[in-house]
Amino acid sequence: VSRRKILPTRAALTLTPSAVDKVIQLLQNKPEYIGLKVGVRTRGCNGLTYTLDYTKEKDKSDEEVLQDGARVFIEKKAQLTLLGTEMDFVETKLSSEFVFNNPNIKGTCGCGESFNM
Amino acid sequence: QLLNISSARVQTARCSAPLGCTAHARYSSNPQLHSAVPADDLLLSQSCVKRLAEILDKGQYLRIAVEGGGCSGFQYKFLVDAVRNEDDRVFEKNGVGIIIDVDSLEFVKGSTVDFSQELIRSSFQVLKNPQAEHGCSCGSSFSVKL
Repeated sequence: VSRRKILPTRAALTLTPSAVDKVIQLLQNKPEYIGLKVGVRTRGCNGLTYTLDYTKEKDKSDEEVLQDGARVFIEKKAQLTLLGTEMDFVETKLSSEFVFNNPNIKGTCGCGESFNM
Repeated sequence: QLLNISSARVQTARCSAPLGCTAHARYSSNPQLHSAVPADDLLLSQSCVKRLAEILDKGQYLRIAVEGGGCSGFQYKFLVDAVRNEDDRVFEKNGVGIIIDVDSLEFVKGSTVDFSQELIRSSFQVLKNPQAEHGCSCGSSFSVKL
């Protein structure tokens, strides 16, 4: 019986360089928070929407993503939803936002905030 | 003549309720409401004025347009524009201005333009639109009361 190969686990969430920078910048002067937490919530015209919050502690069931010094946690409920998603930060004069490029979704709302699977 | 009307209705930069102004200055979700403002004007929240002062160069305005689209029928568009057309109305406050064409204004008059800042996104939004029946959760799309 050959031993099972151990595959490197793929990160559940990848961050683009601009997202890494922004996460680090957001947490810079806030030593009381250990990272940001990404979640999903039932809201919007198309079913689900992403949430983002500061977090002070890692829950048991949270998935931790550490990339280039930026620490992001994924809520248990959101782990399946977010698997393979790229988190980007887009900044223009008129708006700045975190964008989630999620390969699992079937459709989005016009504004891009809400989506279904 | 159109220009006369618009300049007469330009909002004064003065704040009639100083206490209310300072109280709401920090949080974008609480734009102050003045009952004295005519109902067909656009209001600018403190956070909107502050953000516009940061991003606009001299001679530039924030243009708001209402277009068909979005999940609820209509959606708001925000652009930076330096050109003022004949059918535009201008709303100014503390040296920054918003321009909007009269057709779009029909759909948003009485609303408050706000710059909302959250962790996940910061963007300009039209709040408390008296013409809107219900909007999309993101606030960029709405349907009109008939």
